Amino acid sequence: MNRYGLPSHVMSAFRRPVAIAAAMFLAGVAAPNAQNDARQIVAEAQRRSDARSQRYEGLLQVVDSRGKVADKRWTFSRLGSHGQSKAVLRFLAPAEVKGVALLIVNHPDRASDQWMWTPALQRERRIALQDRSTRFFGTDFSFEDLEERDVSQYDYRLLGEEPIDGAPCWRIESVPSQKKISQYTKSEVWIRKDNYAFAQVESYLKTEVVRRLKYAEFVQVQGIWTGRRMEMSDLRRKSRTMLTLEKLEYNVPLKEEDFALQALRNPL
Amino acid sequence: MRLLRLISWPYLRKHAVRSLLTVVGIVLGVAVFVAMHTANQAVFFAFERTVDRIAGAAQLQITAGEAGFSEDVLERVQAIPGVQVAVPVIEAPAATRLAGQGNILILGVDMTGDRSLRDYDLETGDEAIVDDPLVFLAQPDSIIVTKEFAARNSLAVGGRLTLSTMVGDKAFVVRGIMRSGGLTSAFGGNLAVMDIYAAQQVFGRGRRFDRIDVKVRENIAVDAGRAAIRNELGVGFDVEPPASRGQQLESTLAVYAISMNVSSVFALFIGMFIIYNSFSIAVTQRRSEIGILRALGAPRRQIRNLFLIESAASGLLGSLIGIAVGILMARVMVGTISNMLEGIYGVAERAEEVSADPRLLGTALAIGVMTSMIAAWLPARNASRVDPVHALQKGKYQVLTAGENRARRLAAAVLMAAALVFLWIGRSIWFYAGYLLIIVAALLLVPTASLWFAQGIRPLLKWLRPVEGALAADSLIQSPRRTSGAIAALMLSLGQVIGLGGVGRESYNSIVDWLDTALNPDLFVAGSQNLSDRTFRFPHSLTHDIAATPGVADVQPVRSLRVNVGGSPVMLIAIDVVSFERRGRRATVAEDPRGMYALTKAGEGVIVSDNFARLQGRQLGDFIEIPSPGGVLRLPIVGVMTDWSDQQGSVVLERDVYERYWQDDTANVFRVYVANGADPVAVRESLLARLSPGQPRLLVLTNAEVRGWILQLTDQWLQLTYSQVFIAVLVAILGIVNTLTVSIIDRKRELGVLRAVGGFRRQIRQTVWMEAVAIGLVGLALGVLFGAANLYFLLQITGRDLSGMYLPYRFPVGIALMLLPTILCAAFFSALWPAESAVRASLVEALEYE
Repeated sequence: MNRYGLPSHVMSAFRRPVAIAAAMFLAGVAAPNAQNDARQIVAEAQRRSDARSQRYEGLLQVVDSRGKVADKRWTFSRLGSHGQSKAVLRFLAPAEVKGVALLIVNHPDRASDQWMWTPALQRERRIALQDRSTRFFGTDFSFEDLEERDVSQYDYRLLGEEPIDGAPCWRIESVPSQKKISQYTKSEVWIRKDNYAFAQVESYLKTEVVRRLKYAEFVQVQGIWTGRRMEMSDLRRKSRTMLTLEKLEYNVPLKEEDFALQALRNPL
Repeated sequence: MRLLRLISWPYLRKHAVRSLLTVVGIVLGVAVFVAMHTANQAVFFAFERTVDRIAGAAQLQITAGEAGFSEDVLERVQAIPGVQVAVPVIEAPAATRLAGQGNILILGVDMTGDRSLRDYDLETGDEAIVDDPLVFLAQPDSIIVTKEFAARNSLAVGGRLTLSTMVGDKAFVVRGIMRSGGLTSAFGGNLAVMDIYAAQQVFGRGRRFDRIDVKVRENIAVDAGRAAIRNELGVGFDVEPPASRGQQLESTLAVYAISMNVSSVFALFIGMFIIYNSFSIAVTQRRSEIGILRALGAPRRQIRNLFLIESAASGLLGSLIGIAVGILMARVMVGTISNMLEGIYGVAERAEEVSADPRLLGTALAIGVMTSMIAAWLPARNASRVDPVHALQKGKYQVLTAGENRARRLAAAVLMAAALVFLWIGRSIWFYAGYLLIIVAALLLVPTASLWFAQGIRPLLKWLRPVEGALAADSLIQSPRRTSGAIAALMLSLGQVIGLGGVGRESYNSIVDWLDTALNPDLFVAGSQNLSDRTFRFPHSLTHDIAATPGVADVQPVRSLRVNVGGSPVMLIAIDVVSFERRGRRATVAEDPRGMYALTKAGEGVIVSDNFARLQGRQLGDFIEIPSPGGVLRLPIVGVMTDWSDQQGSVVLERDVYERYWQDDTANVFRVYVANGADPVAVRESLLARLSPGQPRLLVLTNAEVRGWILQLTDQWLQLTYSQVFIAVLVAILGIVNTLTVSIIDRKRELGVLRAVGGFRRQIRQTVWMEAVAIGLVGLALGVLFGAANLYFLLQITGRDLSGMYLPYRFPVGIALMLLPTILCAAFFSALWPAESAVRASLVEALEYE
């Protein structure tokens, strides 16, 4: 007889089921916490990278399936914070595309609005929502990939932990919520545990990984950890695009009027 | 089968040439039928395939007539929940500056989204450029061509292609070449792709698109998507599947098909009578054989079937040859129809595959065999009724009995009376039935009429050559069976020549009258020498520039476009009606008492052409509905005038009303009137000097140049008459050779006796020649009479079903006079060989002939 007044053999018989039930109870209690943790992790990563504005010069290198490399350069300016910002991307090189500009107006509750300006034609064109899955001007990014994501637009689930390039990371599943229109079924995001910077993002169509974005060369600029090199791989086309951020600055004074359609028409 | 082997085959072998000549009649009819339908089908199929390929995965296409619509419509369509993809398109034909290439169709698309619908399947090209739409979009001179076009013109990536555009001749850089198949097959490879916004600039579209191609979401039915789009856009927009464009072409080709059907029917009739002629002759020649067979106990049915089987075999042979000839002819006709399509679509559809539908070939075969058997029915029946005793008598069988003649005349009278009743009823099917009855009645009267004419010209022939002429005339008078088939065929053929010639001549005269009254500006400012080309449009501001040119008294900007009214694509002409009234002298058919021009100017009505009114069954006061991007325009007809602008009809609308509803102030053509005393040529030079720098595409044409171009098009109709004359000559030769050959055989003894009593070879020849000329004369006389009636019917068909324009009845005396020497020469030519064979025949054999 043990101290609970039950015969020992009965205790033994119940010991395993009780343990299992306890584990299940604990798991049930832990599950919402895991989801909350995932959202909290992403929210924290977003908070740490938040800035009123951003500006850089980008070197874009597209490597096709045959290994041929094509270079482009652009300037990128963003005004506003995650999900509610405006951005202007303006090509600097090569000569054939110099002056072509893209205006992106991000909204937290719906898809972004995008316009493209062509200096040779002296007119803008709207990029339709249906076209967002199209490759962005020959790169492995799609137009949707240029949109800013806000933590509120997705549902999250912590999948575990996995290192990327030796850095311990949380691995989080991110599924677009109902209000978010996306070409992707889901994404998996790796966030570094040491500085909450994004290390890798894999985008899925149904169960197939179609794109992989990897960050490297992390630097701290004005207190914000940023991967200076990004490599987007299109796993179906077997091509990749490298984007290197140069002259990166945050919280620079930018004018609201520089992020309007009329501003696209201004020459560099 | 034994009879075929023992009786028919030896006869056919002995008269192989004549048998073959007989078959030629069926060959002709079947060939025309097969050629016409095969060519139509080939071009239509090629066009449908082109429409499908250009459409790609698009399930619906949104258009608003030829005017297009503004860009903001695109966002409205893209915002519709059931729409998955909506992409804008501009289609514009552009003249290349390459030898032998003609026009190329430019497909202007937005490459950022168009690849959801169309696969460009690039073969070569700087991948970084072509596969990267950024450079393609950034460089507005970028173009992608097909592999076929590139190969034909030795173009490679980086090469330059010069096209004629609204901004003048412009060099484009080839940045990609599409692989073969799919899109590249459209128009035989004469298709190129460029950025839509660049296309807007160079083809004068402003901020408008020609159409939007749509794909609905997977869980939405196409019809539901169509309804949603119509609901959003309202009236004024057509939302149709791509296949409906093929149906529009089918309607256009149907008009062409009617005229070709008439020709084909005539060709078959002519073939039928050549066969009837040959079998009648064969039956009479083989009366002895038939008599013997009957005497041996062969039933009538067996005799009849023997000849029907022979005719079926002839028909089968003729049909098979006709099918082969028809397919060859179709390859030539395809070019003609393709050129007609170029006027509609701007680019010639090269129908690479001309293969006949097996069902069509089966139909042609059946028609050929049935025609042959129908033609041989009467001779076969007559053969079955041969009395064995009479069969052995010579000379009497070519005579038509008095009873037979009376029966034919009675039947003809009854048919004519019925035809008149049908014509009085007037509706379409009764009209055509009446036409058919008149033709049959005329054919029934041929023997009687031939006899009368032969008797009438006997004195003339006898006066020319007393002995030979009399013999020739008597041969016709005494043997109507032998000659009536050939004469009937000649009558039909020449009747068709006169009918078509009359219609052609009156069309020509009416167009000339119209040119004098309606096309009276001194100069025309246009974007193309082809005034009907509506691709190029000029800004309205050009009106002031033209008006400010010294020597210019008046300018009328005109915007014309095709719109769908009452289910037909008619020509809408937007013009300043006040100026139109002041300058124009068009004949008014009907007018509102309050004044048609005043009402039209006020936007309270429209003026329509007389052929529009007829084709659509409208009259003064009736309302018509014109769809526009700004809504349906519903206006009454306040005037009807004579106008040859368009075969489907035209509607004149005040320009201000047009601009309001279509939001379009461009013009296709400016009609320019010079001041009194000013020299049009000098004013033209001034216009070119002032306007060309800003409008490189601009042309200034004089009135004489435009008239010349229009009359050149009209002359093409008359060429059809000349081709019919050729057929008539061919028919004459065939029929007369056939008839004379039998005549010589029949008169072997007679000609032998003539030689035995001292007749010269020359006299034998002249007898045969004069008989041929007599047949030609009688055929010509009957052809002229029948042609007079046929002209009436063809004019009615033209007015009712083809163009809606009723032309005055005027007998084409010139054409009839031209036929006289033509047919006489053909008849004489036909007699040469039979005359020689008559002369060379053995005298001993001739006298032994029994």
